[in-house]
Amino acid sequence: MSRKNSVGTMRMNRRAMLSGTAALLAAPYVIPAARAEAPAVNVGVIMPLSGPNAQFGINSRNGLELAADEINAAGGIAELGGARINLVVADATSTPTTAGNVAQRLITQADITAVLGAFASSLTLAISEVTERRDIPLLTMSFADQITGRGYKNIFQVVAKASVIGKAQFDYTAAIARGAGSKIDKIAIMYEDTAYGTAQANGLRAGAKAANVEIVMDDAYPLGITDTTPLVNKLRGSGAQAVFPVSYLNDSLLIIRTMRQQKLTIPAIGGAAGYVIPDFEKALGEFSENVLSIDTSNYDLAPELTERFRKRFGYFMVHEALEHAVCLEVLVQAIKKAKSAKAEEVASALRGARFTGGWINGMTGGAVQFDASGLNVLSVPLMVQWRGKDIVTVWPKEIAKSAAVWRT
Amino acid sequence: MSFVQAILDGLLIGGVYAVISIGLTLVYGVMGIVNFAQAEFLTIGMFVAWFAWAFLGLDPVLAAPLSFAVAFAIGWVVQGQLIARVLSAPSVAQIFLTVGILIVIENGSLLLFGSQFRSVTTSYQTESLSLGPLFISVPYLIAFAMSLACGIALWWFMRASWFGRAMRATAQNPAAARLMGIDTALMYKMAFALGVGLTAFGGAVILPYVTVFPGVGGQYVVLMFTVVVLGGLGSVAGAVVGGLAVGVIQSLSSLFFPIQLQNLVLFVVFILVLAVRPQGLVGAIR
Repeated sequence: MSRKNSVGTMRMNRRAMLSGTAALLAAPYVIPAARAEAPAVNVGVIMPLSGPNAQFGINSRNGLELAADEINAAGGIAELGGARINLVVADATSTPTTAGNVAQRLITQADITAVLGAFASSLTLAISEVTERRDIPLLTMSFADQITGRGYKNIFQVVAKASVIGKAQFDYTAAIARGAGSKIDKIAIMYEDTAYGTAQANGLRAGAKAANVEIVMDDAYPLGITDTTPLVNKLRGSGAQAVFPVSYLNDSLLIIRTMRQQKLTIPAIGGAAGYVIPDFEKALGEFSENVLSIDTSNYDLAPELTERFRKRFGYFMVHEALEHAVCLEVLVQAIKKAKSAKAEEVASALRGARFTGGWINGMTGGAVQFDASGLNVLSVPLMVQWRGKDIVTVWPKEIAKSAAVWRT
Repeated sequence: MSFVQAILDGLLIGGVYAVISIGLTLVYGVMGIVNFAQAEFLTIGMFVAWFAWAFLGLDPVLAAPLSFAVAFAIGWVVQGQLIARVLSAPSVAQIFLTVGILIVIENGSLLLFGSQFRSVTTSYQTESLSLGPLFISVPYLIAFAMSLACGIALWWFMRASWFGRAMRATAQNPAAARLMGIDTALMYKMAFALGVGLTAFGGAVILPYVTVFPGVGGQYVVLMFTVVVLGGLGSVAGAVVGGLAVGVIQSLSSLFFPIQLQNLVLFVVFILVLAVRPQGLVGAIR
């Protein structure tokens, strides 16, 4: 070999050896991990993370994170080779049209098995139109009647519907009042005017009519209301003995504060949402004491499950967090049943089925049973009451943790 | 009785609307620019007051001068650096600039402060005074009193102080003002900064009964424009009359119509007034 050649060959040999070693060392980082790991199951989470319902969206997301982290820590979904749950979170904002667009984008960007969302019924309705078109199951705890009333095949609601909740809001109150020796003859209804408030108000009206109680005030108000003085003025003049406001957070604070300002002490029985979150007590302090509200689930029915939330996030497990954890539990069980993460197959596994165990123990009845319209027929509303910084289940008597206090 | 109560509530709220809107009309009166970003300074004022409450324990009403000062400073810089450049540009450019400022401030606050609604808790939030059968909500009353004080201070400033007279001179005729030795560029800065400061002051005093979030300005922007146009664009007295009128109209309408139609009634009245008297109820000073 000529000197040039030998040097060239040596250089190439050394180069080859060096680059070969480098390639060998780099290989695990450059070649996509061909580890024996199942692809994650993508679960879309669409919540209002901005706007008036942001706090509820954040609470719901926290509940889902807790549930998903526990499932993943326990090894993921065994039936799919230990696949982890991957929550793909998106902000629904507070306008239904945007929520629909967000859902559309989410579904096209990732391979979504199911969507969970969106707390507010008006947003859930918009999102459901997208998921129904794409045959992707939507699990929700929103409860306007319309959600399960359109004959959709891919919607699954884990709580009772608004008209049932509204009727219970009235009926339970009448029962509690009777138990305390008082009789209600005249009531007032005030509700925010989106799908949630309107549907629940229908239930309240039905309950009052069935009991022959006069509704002396029945007023809707816009969600973004900044001044409730006219409403409360009207309430004061109406002679109602109890008021049933159905509000999100901001409006609930305005209504209670204005009532106190005008020295109105008639019982207020809230319609869930704003009346059952820690922010209500934080903002109103002593004025939140003994306020009653209807609710779809409560953390004191399953403290062994819900204390984990309080430990991680520092506040009690609000019903939207618990119910979303239940949605995820139901979804995971359906995936296990179908042995697949494909949207259509999971949807079939959900339809008309019954689920128990895990977070589902926090629901009334201890199980979730979907009927043909996607409604959970086992969910029963319950009445809760503020005691200090906690809310306590007070009705029906069978599941109450404490007797109701009725103050007139 | 409910009629009197409604008028009373309307006047109390209207006083605050007036203070919030005076800035808008002042800016137009002196500079000829419609500041679409005016409502964002309301948001800024509210946030400053909220943080003063959260971290310094200051009642929002006491923090109002602080809100004024912060907005004044921001307004001074914004006018000097941005608005001054478009003073002689076509109005389209001016509109684009102020709308751009609106977008930047709103989204900037969304980035900095997040989207949650924040409210304050004060000792007087749930109190009211009784005047016979009438209730006067204490937070509304305090907001009204502060607005009144602010309005009187502004009136004195415009009438009696050199700066005020110089601003009015600039509003009447900028060229003549310059000939008289008035630094019109400084006057423009003063007017803008003062205008946005007043709106921020209004924001702070309403904090006890309004929750603040980055989009709160947007809830008041249409109202502000209604107030100033109804009163007469460019007239400070007009903004006061307009503010009180809007408050009373909103309040009275809720006696006869559902509360959701409050703004509809307002705009119908607004259109009728403008059809009869296009220059507004009071008309421009100039």
